Amino acid sequence: MKPLFGSFGHRKKDIAEELESHLRLATAELVERGMDPEEARASAMREFGNVPLVEDIATEMWGWLWVDRLLQDLRYALRQMRRSPGFTATVIGTLALGIGAAAAMFTVVDHVLLRPLPYRDAGRLVAIQEHATNDPRTSGAPWLDIQQWTLRSHSFSQIALFDGMPGRNFLEESNGGGMQISAVTVSPNLFATLGVTPSMGRDFLSVPMGSEVSKNADTVILSDAAWKAAYGGDPGILGRNIKINSKSYLVVGVMPPGIEIPFGPSFPQVWTTIALGDQDKTRYYNSPDYSVIGRLRPGVSIKTAQAEMSTIQNGLAVAYTDARVRQERTDARVQSYADSLVAADIRKALLALLAAAGVLWLISSVNTTNLLLARGAARQREIALRGAIGASRSRILQQFIVESLVLSGAGALLGTGLALGAVQLVSKAKPAHLNVEFSAHVNFTILAVLCGLTLLTALVSSAWPAFLAVSTSIESAIKQGGQQSGTGRRHSRVRRTLVVCEVALSLTLLVACGLLLRTIYTLRHVPLGYRTDHILVAHLAIPSYRYSNRNMIVDLYQPLLDRVQHLHGVSAAGFMSEVPLAQKFSIKLTVAVNGQSSIAVLKTVSPDIRRIFGVKMIVGRFFDDHDTATSEPVVVVNMAYARLHSPNPHDPSAIVGQRFMNLRKDMPTKIIGIIDDERQGKIGEPSQPEVEVSLQQLSPDSGFYQPSTVAMDLAVRTERAPDSIIPELRSILGQANPDLPHATFNTMDQVVEDSFGSQRLAAHLLEIFGGVALLLCLAGLYGLLKYTVTQQTRDIGVRIALGAQRTDVLWLVMRQAAIMLLAGLTLGAALALPSTRLIQSFLYGVTAHDGWTLACAAALLLVSGLSAAYLPARGAARVDPITALRTE
Amino acid sequence: MSRARIYENRVEVLQGTLDMLILKTLQWGPQHGYGIVQALRANSGEMLQIETGSLYPALHRLERQGWVRSEWKQSESNQRAKFYRITATGKKQLAHDLGRWQRIVEAVTSIIDRDPEGNEV
Repeated sequence: MKPLFGSFGHRKKDIAEELESHLRLATAELVERGMDPEEARASAMREFGNVPLVEDIATEMWGWLWVDRLLQDLRYALRQMRRSPGFTATVIGTLALGIGAAAAMFTVVDHVLLRPLPYRDAGRLVAIQEHATNDPRTSGAPWLDIQQWTLRSHSFSQIALFDGMPGRNFLEESNGGGMQISAVTVSPNLFATLGVTPSMGRDFLSVPMGSEVSKNADTVILSDAAWKAAYGGDPGILGRNIKINSKSYLVVGVMPPGIEIPFGPSFPQVWTTIALGDQDKTRYYNSPDYSVIGRLRPGVSIKTAQAEMSTIQNGLAVAYTDARVRQERTDARVQSYADSLVAADIRKALLALLAAAGVLWLISSVNTTNLLLARGAARQREIALRGAIGASRSRILQQFIVESLVLSGAGALLGTGLALGAVQLVSKAKPAHLNVEFSAHVNFTILAVLCGLTLLTALVSSAWPAFLAVSTSIESAIKQGGQQSGTGRRHSRVRRTLVVCEVALSLTLLVACGLLLRTIYTLRHVPLGYRTDHILVAHLAIPSYRYSNRNMIVDLYQPLLDRVQHLHGVSAAGFMSEVPLAQKFSIKLTVAVNGQSSIAVLKTVSPDIRRIFGVKMIVGRFFDDHDTATSEPVVVVNMAYARLHSPNPHDPSAIVGQRFMNLRKDMPTKIIGIIDDERQGKIGEPSQPEVEVSLQQLSPDSGFYQPSTVAMDLAVRTERAPDSIIPELRSILGQANPDLPHATFNTMDQVVEDSFGSQRLAAHLLEIFGGVALLLCLAGLYGLLKYTVTQQTRDIGVRIALGAQRTDVLWLVMRQAAIMLLAGLTLGAALALPSTRLIQSFLYGVTAHDGWTLACAAALLLVSGLSAAYLPARGAARVDPITALRTE
Repeated sequence: MSRARIYENRVEVLQGTLDMLILKTLQWGPQHGYGIVQALRANSGEMLQIETGSLYPALHRLERQGWVRSEWKQSESNQRAKFYRITATGKKQLAHDLGRWQRIVEAVTSIIDRDPEGNEV
């Protein structure tokens, strides 16, 4: 009979009875030999040995004992936790901070860097981009280059291309409304390259690119999102004609949910095919650039493909006639498509922050180890006693591990809560150029990492205390209580080392945090070249197709401006194609002067914009109401432009009165003034050359630039609070166009604040990490000293009784603290120097090896560390020798 | 008197031979744990001492493997005790163990019985 399940209790009872019968038989025999029954029983017991241990081992032969033990240890652990709530709360809190920080950071990294792409075998997809040798900035590629890549390369089974349609795109809905979409033109083989097929209808017909008349012309494939949003998932959509930007397309397919390309669009996507134009037959600055995706042939590595593409592109660059354009396209970069979605500096920064969270986790684990060691010392007698009454070493070890698992499990639970909160915080501070939706949802990867982290935490924090506990000899522990014994001294040496490590790690985090705070401070104090106070900005998404045959300036912008200007409390209102630092998009103008091309930012503004932003006029005049669609076309440039293009290199103002390019057909444009430089895209970047044109001079027949294709920002200078004026502005916008009330409003101050994006995110996180690290480190130092002082109460009592001054005792403790702190700071400084380089790309106006920041962080740690040490030191100095000597 | 002293003159049972010794003892008839200890001690001329700490785990291991079967019965001294009885597979196992033991003894003997030059003594 081999009962396995359910009879566990029965089995245990049976074995206990069996051993009892053994003892009875042995006793009976001894009595028979003439021994006193009581003595016989004792003798039999002695002969038998450790009854409960034998019972356990015999039961174990049947396999289920570990469950019983585990439950027992669990109960014991919970009882221990209830008995010392202060200790438990400290440990759980400490671990929660460490695990929480690591989990939160990992969630962000998971969302940004480890996003699974919805394509077949996505790891084999690469982005191919052109760039100048030794320049990390990349661009797309013109058709002629891509054509050569396809012909010459052997690394790819397919090469496909795509490009966003210019400007903002709208899908006309049957009810007359318009929905903003992201319209992408693609090569017919793109979806095949990605390995995705439509869930409804068909893919584009496979025809080679460049054939004059494509069978795919005027056909469109909808994304699931666009299909559901615009047509409510109507299955009859196939074969219908829909209008994108007033142009009609035949719907041939609908993609399955989640399929998007390029990945992470702002609006629902639709795809049409690329129609190559005349400019695609040239390699010049105005040749359209396409994003290129290749699928690596089986067995080909990215490295091999990279080497091949570099060679090919090197050869192709010769074909560029313009020296500047050629220099920008001398090399091609092959990069996994997933990697290409996140800028290299963001990737590096996120990994650095993840490392910072890891450091915090390490500090919290070290601190927990320290706490467990302190308790282990206090529990030595209990553990020795358990050993004496028959608990095996592995049993005691197991109990320790269960205890720390319970603690770190509780810490992980609390930490997850903290992490979810932190992720919410992060998603609010999301950098503008990080096009990622953060959500606090927990996926399998995160869950697995969390569990692993909990286990690792338990192991790391309990391994040393458990080892010390089981390696302590039973007799000495029971005899001396471990307080003055060798183990006690070893304990405190280990704990000192741990505190030193904590101080070192905390310093690293504090230095990193200090560097970022200085960066933010410096950025806030960069002269922008314009005012940002009391300006309200509305980003208008105007469905331009509604104005395709009308003059938007006359029909929309001018009347709108008139009404806003007359609003109560508005001192000025104006339009600007994009306000500075908004980082949504920018228009680049390539200016060719004397055969050399250069790039300038192009902005369309209304005359009042200078007054609103308080931009300084260096020379000449700004636009006024006399500059109209019929008057002489004029532009204003900034200092950076003037310095670059002035006919007199020593006098930028000589450029005023010069003429260049045609704003209107056959009408050269005159430069009428120079404005001061201002920060356009990023605060950290110096001013780029800029050319401004007046909105009032644009008309549907403007030569190079159609106002209808771009968005406009409305800027309003007002003394009124944003909350009170926004509803009024919305109603005015609504009257002008039914789509406009949904415009997003922002204050200019907020736009500036948002432009700090990744720096602010990193600074916030490091503030939290650094603060928590400091707190944990101080708690560790305080705890250790407090414990040492308690243990040495008797010694201190003797010293005082022998005539030591109380100040001597105070200094004795303070000196211990100072030594630990200084050792930690030295180690920390050595650690900080290499590790702060990781956040280099985030820094502005301060180097990664900034001595002042290091000194300040060290001083902060030293001062707060000594303050934390003062309390136990004062306690030691107040020891009453009589009570101290009496207690032991 | 410490425990170590009591056992000083006794020989520790070789690792792995305990199972064989128990099975061999049970071949003479069903026996309880205490009886097995006594039998082994008596039959070895007081030389072998089985630790109870090894005996009971071994008995339960053997039972789980199906080599012995147990039953609660009255002992000769009219005490309730758990008796172990060897099974058919147990007997097979015993024969196998004995054969192996024999070979080890032969091998060890042949090494011991040689003089330094390698001739049989």
